[in-house]
Amino acid sequence: MKRKIVKLSIPYLLTTLILSIFLLVFSAAITYKQFLELTKAEKRVVQSHKVILTAQELLSTVKDAETAQRGYLLTRDTIFLVPYKDAITYSAKIITDFKKLVGNNPEKQKAIDTLDFLIHKRFDIIAASIFKKDIELPLFSVDKKSMLSRKDLVDKIRSKTNEIIKNEKMQLKIRESEHREEVHLSPLTFLYTSLFALSIFVIAFFKIKSDLFHLKLANNQLLINKRLFEHSENISNICNWCWNLEANHLTFSNNIHYMLRCEKYDFKQTVEGFSKFVHPDDQHIITNGVKEALEIYKTAIVYYRVIRKDGVICYFKSESKVIQDNFHKNIMIGVISDISEQHHNNAILEEKLFDLERTNKELLAFNHVASHDLQEPLRKIQNFISRLDANEMESLSENGRTYFSRIKVAANRMQLLIDDLLAFSRANKAEKVYELKDLNILLKISIQELAQSIEEKYATINTSALPSLNVIPFQIQQLFINIISNAIKYSKANVAPVITISSEIICGKDIIKSSFTSENKLHKITISDNGIGFDEEYAEDIFILFNRLHSDTEYYGTGIGLTICRKIVENHNGYITAEGIPNVGSRFNIYLPMTE
Amino acid sequence: MNNSALHILLADDDEDDRLFFKEAIDEIKVKTIVTLLNDGVQLMLYLNQPDVVLPNVVFLDLNMPKKGGMQCLKEIRSNSKLKDLSIAIYSTSASEHDIEETFVKGANIYIKKPNDFGELKKILAEVININWQYHTSGLNKENFLLSI
Repeated sequence: MKRKIVKLSIPYLLTTLILSIFLLVFSAAITYKQFLELTKAEKRVVQSHKVILTAQELLSTVKDAETAQRGYLLTRDTIFLVPYKDAITYSAKIITDFKKLVGNNPEKQKAIDTLDFLIHKRFDIIAASIFKKDIELPLFSVDKKSMLSRKDLVDKIRSKTNEIIKNEKMQLKIRESEHREEVHLSPLTFLYTSLFALSIFVIAFFKIKSDLFHLKLANNQLLINKRLFEHSENISNICNWCWNLEANHLTFSNNIHYMLRCEKYDFKQTVEGFSKFVHPDDQHIITNGVKEALEIYKTAIVYYRVIRKDGVICYFKSESKVIQDNFHKNIMIGVISDISEQHHNNAILEEKLFDLERTNKELLAFNHVASHDLQEPLRKIQNFISRLDANEMESLSENGRTYFSRIKVAANRMQLLIDDLLAFSRANKAEKVYELKDLNILLKISIQELAQSIEEKYATINTSALPSLNVIPFQIQQLFINIISNAIKYSKANVAPVITISSEIICGKDIIKSSFTSENKLHKITISDNGIGFDEEYAEDIFILFNRLHSDTEYYGTGIGLTICRKIVENHNGYITAEGIPNVGSRFNIYLPMTE
Repeated sequence: MNNSALHILLADDDEDDRLFFKEAIDEIKVKTIVTLLNDGVQLMLYLNQPDVVLPNVVFLDLNMPKKGGMQCLKEIRSNSKLKDLSIAIYSTSASEHDIEETFVKGANIYIKKPNDFGELKKILAEVININWQYHTSGLNKENFLLSI
């Protein structure tokens, strides 16, 4: 999450930077342009003033010339002719300057030309009047007509000059207003642009500040994670390494020192440095592991021995693979774990497994002995007994007959014992083939097998619907037979046994006594009877092999039946318990996990 | 050879068992000829005689020295001359494994040697009276193990 924030800011910052640069360049350009405009406008104003001044100067020159003429005509003093001549020269110069001043404006040029023409005309008339006077002219001999024409000419000059001045003044007025406007606008634009840029800088500053804060937080978290990582590496006895293949730079996490029981300076962080600790016989495993990881681009797992600095040989497991970093460079990463303990435990387990297999073999051998070698002689004894019983009883004395019946009982008992032991070893045997079976059918078969004793004891069996489960069918039959025949056997004298079989679904955690704590649902099958029952304190003992609550003279048995029952239920991942009340009855609860 | 007499053969290494067998057969009111052999080697020699008259039923013990019943069964079923013989396994063991294996190898019926002489007589009478033709055609695992 925090990483995301930091990541997002980079384009944001870039945009801000570009925008700010743009704004700065923009405002600089605008300022420059306006400065140029300003200068230009100012120049124009100055020019206009110059034009006005020049026009006025021209007019005053003409007037100077006239004054001089008048002075001369009145006094005939040639001294008055000096300003007249000066005026002519000066006016020509002014006209030339004037033309330069107005530049390429054709209208103005034309106006000046007209003015020039009028002035020349005037000067010509003046000159004519002066030179005429030189010959012979009375003081007031000027005729009225020529006087009027001269006045008209002067008026024209004046009006033309005034027109030029007026025009220039009007232009000046326009320029001045433009100038004012620009002078007013420029700082405002500049101010706004600067303010905008400033605000962007402020926003960017706060954004960078917040990013830095997040970065700091992320950094802190990273630091904590690193510590955590180191701690967990230390606890679980593992370390990791990272090998930059291009730069051939290998680094191990700190825990390697602890794992090798060496100091930092003992361990050089190179392939050779690590190999130094690897058992000489296992060096090739490391080489092959690296090769494998490089070739298959999958995790390569190798097991090898190392010799720690303290000389202890440990078993290490390395898992390594090649990955690409953000710069598309190949790096090999790996985790080394010290599996000495597992290795040690495995050795013990293997030993135990070996023992178990041997025991199993012995059990199978016992099974064979019991099933064949023991049965063989017993069967013959019983056969001979039956032969004697059928044909030779009359020739025996009373005592002989009693002994003979004892032999018969003992032989039968031995037969029973062997059969039960066989059943027990069969229940123990590993061949567990589970089938989905309807327990109602298995129960029915079991009841049929017990038909004779049920009939003899007038037993009543009440059944209710049982589920279908994944079971080993013959074992479940055996289970029903053993419990039901127990119920018939341990019935009260003179009371017909009533056996009730029922089933319900319960929750695993509801069984307090057992090891079931799961939430899984279970089938609870209950088989209860109205027999002699037993004391609650024996509820566990009755399941132990050869454990019996009654002597043979009371109730005939081998003490194997219920042990077989427990074994069978355990084979089905279930659990069996017994409850009893003396002289009231007993109840067996069978818990079997539900078939999914 | 008397045609009406049933020819029965027993291969069993146990002397007592051979005795019980003979006595039980004799007590059954059926005309029979009984041949008793001591082991698998003798059995195969007997059956492989060129001019042998094959028995109607062969009772075969599984656990015998030299050559066991399982081996004999295998040889008989792979021999074109003998493969149609009716074979009843006659063994002390009633292990699932033995029953399964003999069934697969082609035995016709499996008898667990009974503990009681009377029972033995009943079983033998039953086997002798089986209509083998019928039994073989309806052979299945459920009625393979004979129980009285």
